[in-house]
Amino acid sequence: MSEAGRLLAVFRESTATADAIDALHETGVQDDQIVVMTGVPYPERAFGRHVEWLRLPHIVLAGAAGGLIFGLFLAVITPHLYRLDIGGHPTVSFAPAAIITFVFTMMATIISTFLGVLWEMNFPEFGTKFYHRLVTDGYLAVLVEFEAPLENRVRLILETHGGEHIERPERQTL
Amino acid sequence: MSDQPEPSGGKPTPPESLEPSEQVRGRLLLDQRTDREIDEAVLRPMFETGPRFWILVGILGAIVAWGIYAWIYQIYWGMGVAGINRPVYWGLYIATFVFWVGISHAGTMISAVLRLLKADWRRPITRGAEAMTSFALMMAGLYPLIHLGRVWKFYWMIPYPNNRFMWPNFQSPLMWDMVAIFTYLIGSTLYLYLALIPDMAMARDHTDGWRYKLYRGMALGWRGTQGEWHKLHRALSIFSVVIIPVFLSVHSIVSWDFAVTIQPRWHSTIFAPYFVIGAVYSGLAALAAILVIVRRTMRLQEFLRSEHFDALGKLVMVAGMGWIYFWFSGFIVEWYGNDPVIRELIHEEISGGLAPFFWLQMTANVLPVLFLAFRRIRTNPAFLLALALLINVGMYTERALIVFGNLERNYLPFNWGTYRPTWVEVSVIAMTFAGFILLYTLFSRIVPYVPVWEIKEGRLRYSLRRIGRLLVPTAAEIE
Repeated sequence: MSEAGRLLAVFRESTATADAIDALHETGVQDDQIVVMTGVPYPERAFGRHVEWLRLPHIVLAGAAGGLIFGLFLAVITPHLYRLDIGGHPTVSFAPAAIITFVFTMMATIISTFLGVLWEMNFPEFGTKFYHRLVTDGYLAVLVEFEAPLENRVRLILETHGGEHIERPERQTL
Repeated sequence: MSDQPEPSGGKPTPPESLEPSEQVRGRLLLDQRTDREIDEAVLRPMFETGPRFWILVGILGAIVAWGIYAWIYQIYWGMGVAGINRPVYWGLYIATFVFWVGISHAGTMISAVLRLLKADWRRPITRGAEAMTSFALMMAGLYPLIHLGRVWKFYWMIPYPNNRFMWPNFQSPLMWDMVAIFTYLIGSTLYLYLALIPDMAMARDHTDGWRYKLYRGMALGWRGTQGEWHKLHRALSIFSVVIIPVFLSVHSIVSWDFAVTIQPRWHSTIFAPYFVIGAVYSGLAALAAILVIVRRTMRLQEFLRSEHFDALGKLVMVAGMGWIYFWFSGFIVEWYGNDPVIRELIHEEISGGLAPFFWLQMTANVLPVLFLAFRRIRTNPAFLLALALLINVGMYTERALIVFGNLERNYLPFNWGTYRPTWVEVSVIAMTFAGFILLYTLFSRIVPYVPVWEIKEGRLRYSLRRIGRLLVPTAAEIE
């Protein structure tokens, strides 16, 4: 396999970006070789790319289930382990157990959502990465990875679709 | 922008009518502002901290220091230095605790509920509301410790196997309280932080020195790739759904601290929704007041505009109507029941020693609802600020009346009494108010107060469409 090359270009407009990505696909660049960076969340299919399948909902559900079990353990099991008998009161009663179980389920759901999304995004990641600071200023950056012989064609596609600052990207400390 | 003319029935449309009004342009932030200019407009006020800012910080810091001294004094001498005594075991500490928990409810209301409803006017105010929630909960969370007296025994409430063979009693409402507030604090803080990550990256790209290091750390390596945005959106949607039942449960659980007792006027099934609607009412009013102040001091007039105050004012008005409804629903049943102790408490409130507080509460909570019916008042920052502060005076008085007003009378007439707060309680309460303002003030200078990426996303959603002789904003379904 020949050596891989990279180019990064910034665009001013989303339609031109989407057209450039279509043209790159036609040239043989795979979807997972293209990274689009924006300062604004564009709709998922705005650039005609595959929408990534997320494990986040499953992580959240697993977290919720864990919270439910932990809540039940605290509310139902531990009162039997540490008995506190009060005249006329059951050791475990429904209403307090429901409240404790609910709260711990929600707490675990929240924490698993947060940790899950960080895990999915591979955060925190403080090393050096390919990036262009114009992204913050409203530009759309397209980072393309390709096999070395395709470089001229990729550059031409980026240029003809209005790409600016087309260059071999440098890793930046983020 | 759609410029396809509609059939006009043979009558030509005057060209000047196609110009969008200034109000429409402003609302959509369409007026030739680049993304960089928006970034700078939000970042600039964060970097400008003049002498007045530091004087304010100094004064607030001094009040906090005095409050800490009062708290240490109370820890040293014991709870006897507070005004609470038989039969009023819960005084201003618990009233203020309930008040702060209530204030925290606006953040979720604005951020989660309006996000799910796709209400676009929420965009510039979500961060301010979320920060208010977190800081108010931090202040609320101090009160169980303060009220505990022997604060060093706090860890007895944490469930872990220990050699004392003591275990938290999960049948106690105070345990429900602790875990519910802790859950809400974690949830609201993580929610605030998650939505902050893209703006931390924006700030990272525009700063240097210590700010760069801080923002870089908080941005976690954000680049704004499509995958990152997709995952962030999904996580925020999940958070929005999950945090709403938590938000409802927290104040319900706080109300059950009272309602599960057989204390007259507390033992009521309506207490949970009554507390929740009161929390939303005071929280939204507090948010309106803060927004007016921040808008002026940080010169954010371009982002916090009259239509935001208009919409927020309407929400406050509706919450106020809800509060009146729930208050009356509780009152009429108690009054009609004619229980001797409750009758005594009602008389004490309406025409007895507590009458000034009762009438202050009613005036401060009911009058603003009438005023807020007028758009001109809702959109006038000075009027809105005055009404919002009045509502919070009313809601604080209501909390105080519920807590110590109702404890002064009970089913044992020999055990009736009165309550007077001491300098220690007043100082500690002042500490939390000053602490809240101090945290909020510092936050507004460290973190972009306006969620820039949400503003830009909102701008992306809108375009102008010609309908008849009007150019009207239309929203695209991109979320």
